[in-house]
Amino acid sequence: MSTVLDNLVSQPYKHGFVTDIESETAPKGLNEDIIRMISAKKHEPEWLLEFRLKAYRHWLTMTEPQWPNVRYPKIDFQAISYYAAPKPKLKKSMDEVDPELLRTFEKLGVPMHERAALAGVAVDVIFDSVSVTTTYKEKLAEVGIIFGSISDAVRDHPDLVRQYMGSVVPAGDNYYAALNSAVFTDGSFCFIPKGVKCPMDLSTYFRINTQDSGQFERTLIIAEEGATVSYLEGCTAPKFDTNQLHAAVVELVALDDADIKYSTVQNWYAGDEHGVGGIYNFVTKRGLCKGRNSKISWTQVETGSAITWKYPSCILLGENSIGEFYSVALTNHRQQADTGTKMIHIGKNTRSTIISKGISAGHSNNSYRGLVKIGPRAEGARNFSQCDSMLIGAKCGANTFPYIQVQNPTAKVEHEATTSKIGEDQLFYFQSRGIPTEEAVSMIINGFCKDVFQQLPMEFAVEATKLLGLKLEGSVG
Amino acid sequence: MTVTASHPYVASLLAGSTAVPKSPAAWLDARRAAALERANALAVPTTRDEEWRFTDLTPLTKLQFQPVTAAAAVSAADIAMYAVTEAAARLVFVDGIHVPALSQRGALPAGITAELLADGLKTHGALIEPHLAQLASGESDLFTSLNTAFLQHGVFIHAAKNASLQAPIHLLFVATRKDTATYPRCLIISEAGSKCCVIEDYVALGDEPYLTNTVTEIAVAPNAALCHIKVQREGGQAFHIGNCAVTLAKDARYLAHAVTFGARLSRNNLTVIQQGEGAHAQIDGIALIGGRQLADTHTLMDHARPNGSCEQSHKTIVGGAGHAVFNGKVFVREGAQQTDSSQQSRNLLLSDKARVDTKPQLEIFADDVKCAHGATVGQLDAEHLFYLKSRGLPERQARNLLTYAFGAEIIDRIPVPSLVAQLERSVMARTEAGA
Repeated sequence: MSTVLDNLVSQPYKHGFVTDIESETAPKGLNEDIIRMISAKKHEPEWLLEFRLKAYRHWLTMTEPQWPNVRYPKIDFQAISYYAAPKPKLKKSMDEVDPELLRTFEKLGVPMHERAALAGVAVDVIFDSVSVTTTYKEKLAEVGIIFGSISDAVRDHPDLVRQYMGSVVPAGDNYYAALNSAVFTDGSFCFIPKGVKCPMDLSTYFRINTQDSGQFERTLIIAEEGATVSYLEGCTAPKFDTNQLHAAVVELVALDDADIKYSTVQNWYAGDEHGVGGIYNFVTKRGLCKGRNSKISWTQVETGSAITWKYPSCILLGENSIGEFYSVALTNHRQQADTGTKMIHIGKNTRSTIISKGISAGHSNNSYRGLVKIGPRAEGARNFSQCDSMLIGAKCGANTFPYIQVQNPTAKVEHEATTSKIGEDQLFYFQSRGIPTEEAVSMIINGFCKDVFQQLPMEFAVEATKLLGLKLEGSVG
Repeated sequence: MTVTASHPYVASLLAGSTAVPKSPAAWLDARRAAALERANALAVPTTRDEEWRFTDLTPLTKLQFQPVTAAAAVSAADIAMYAVTEAAARLVFVDGIHVPALSQRGALPAGITAELLADGLKTHGALIEPHLAQLASGESDLFTSLNTAFLQHGVFIHAAKNASLQAPIHLLFVATRKDTATYPRCLIISEAGSKCCVIEDYVALGDEPYLTNTVTEIAVAPNAALCHIKVQREGGQAFHIGNCAVTLAKDARYLAHAVTFGARLSRNNLTVIQQGEGAHAQIDGIALIGGRQLADTHTLMDHARPNGSCEQSHKTIVGGAGHAVFNGKVFVREGAQQTDSSQQSRNLLLSDKARVDTKPQLEIFADDVKCAHGATVGQLDAEHLFYLKSRGLPERQARNLLTYAFGAEIIDRIPVPSLVAQLERSVMARTEAGA
């Protein structure tokens, strides 16, 4: 069995090419002048510059978190370029977009243009530090939806941005959120007005292209009373033998009866089999269920990055609000993942579900870290958590660190976790029915992840299934 | 030995340590000196330390505790209620000091020894040296270091090769005095193929604040079996901090039962290291608390070798403004294949102000293993209550019965009937009083 598994994992990274586009890059290093420069480049209002500088000054007083179960050399924050934008300045229409750039996204299989029409998905594309294009903007505007880059939103809808930015993840929330708040360059902004059901899935593709640059995007999604939206996010990066930092902040706000579904397929470059290169993915994602009966659902498929440090969370403030977290995290070679969620129950009758599936192969280390907190006023709160791990090979690690804190006796909290491997008897069963080992392994893994894949929108589910197959190619044996 | 603690509170705790007389063994004096040095360098842990995140020791540091030099007068009648009738031997310590008049050192079968550590050092010195203050080294643990620095009145229990004793050995630690600090120490060595059962029992005759800082070290040799029962029923104002370190050799069996009823603040650390293949551990725990009590249990099951198994079940019943903490880690090292380890943390909240923080942890570095853990927090099941009420039981009685049943599941597994009866009575009394 070990050779089959071995063959299954050593698939090369397909998105590792570099696009040769002239880009405008800020000098390396971080200081107030760089922040002023970023702000000036983006013609930002004074309050936003103040927001950045305040975050930066707070960041200077903070230290890097030591508690995650990951090991990496100290990051030199002065060796990173905090702004990289494709040149020449981009035009409004898709036809005027640098053809080199379009080819890049062709290669990545990002649906734009007519392909976007076929897929029925509105796409915002972020290349290094700037949003390069957004499709379907007009069609969405007809129903009152604002979807586009956060830079445009700052310019066109400053009051909305100012009202919500930092309201879920405060500028000084944690080390990387503070860094992001100081230097964030672009990201997506999405506003669904009262009572509107978003007619199509919204999607953002993130691409890091420049070496020695970091990507610090900031996404803000607001669903007003009764609004519904499904948002997808995909990420890739070229192969470099140096590590790149990705420190994003995502904030979701759901008002009364609103419903936000946020899906991610994260496939940043993970480094080679010796752990050289790869993205450090240090991301803060948090949703606030502010209104009654609101719902926020996170689904993530984490297959890339050298290190993943990410806890998409829900603050369940409104009565009867619902938080969900569905996750598949796959680590191979020398990858390290410390990921999970936080469900903070504050309001009455709030409910949350956590389904986490971790798969470790090679020499990787995969940790689930979660918090379920029931506050003293969360009468009738309910949580169910299930965290399963699968180990492929004897050199990897799988860890589970669930924190459960309950301060209300009417709450009901359940947590369960199991660890398993692909059993010889399972493989034998498949083989006796004429299914080759490799296919059997991929079927078993897909079965293991089924509860999560079911939550993904169709196109993403197909992509995720393929991705897992590729990533694991050669690791089962 | 000079006292130069970097932390003033640690200095106050260490004040009496210079008065501890020299031990019969030079190596032990050296270990005590090293422990004193370690304690001097350490500070009282705070909630900023991950290991103490939910247990705030500030109330402890507001009080001053002095070591005891002579035992208070306690009569046999005072402790009659704690008698375990099945016990083959009973060693009684009052304020940490052995009282022969209250102890019963009946005729133990050949190969079974239960004596004072000072006596054990004379007869079994070579056997004790590799274990004492080694199994629980207290590298960075203040309380283990303090205990070793004060190591004087300890117990040594030895089961020689293939020796067997069905009846339990009862170690009764009685606290009587305000503002005292006691440092009980137990060393249990079960040699190959032996079988025995030890009860560590902590009780109080008053309701004054005092500190019990206890350390137990246990080595279970191949094919040996040890049943280890720890009952903590300290006084309501007491502080109890216990560390227990266990190593299991090939095919050893270790059955632990920990019962936590008392103390204003208690911490129970249990570390089991499976150093031989095929060892089995069963770890049961129950904490029943109310008022403003805090009960913290930390366990570590370290599967270092293949084919080991462990079954752990920890329950808490929390009433009043009580606060229960559980942190259970199952660690499967690289190469520890075919490990089968399961852990359950079940918590029952009885009142609005009760609080539970539970963290079952799995860290697994081997692929061919079966590991599972589960945790639940909730109140009594409405359907169960309805069932009992539909059979004519009043609400209050139905509640008590269900609460009792929740705890009895753990208590009933203790293989000492008279102790089970005592514990069940106190569970009943506590649930009647609304915990």
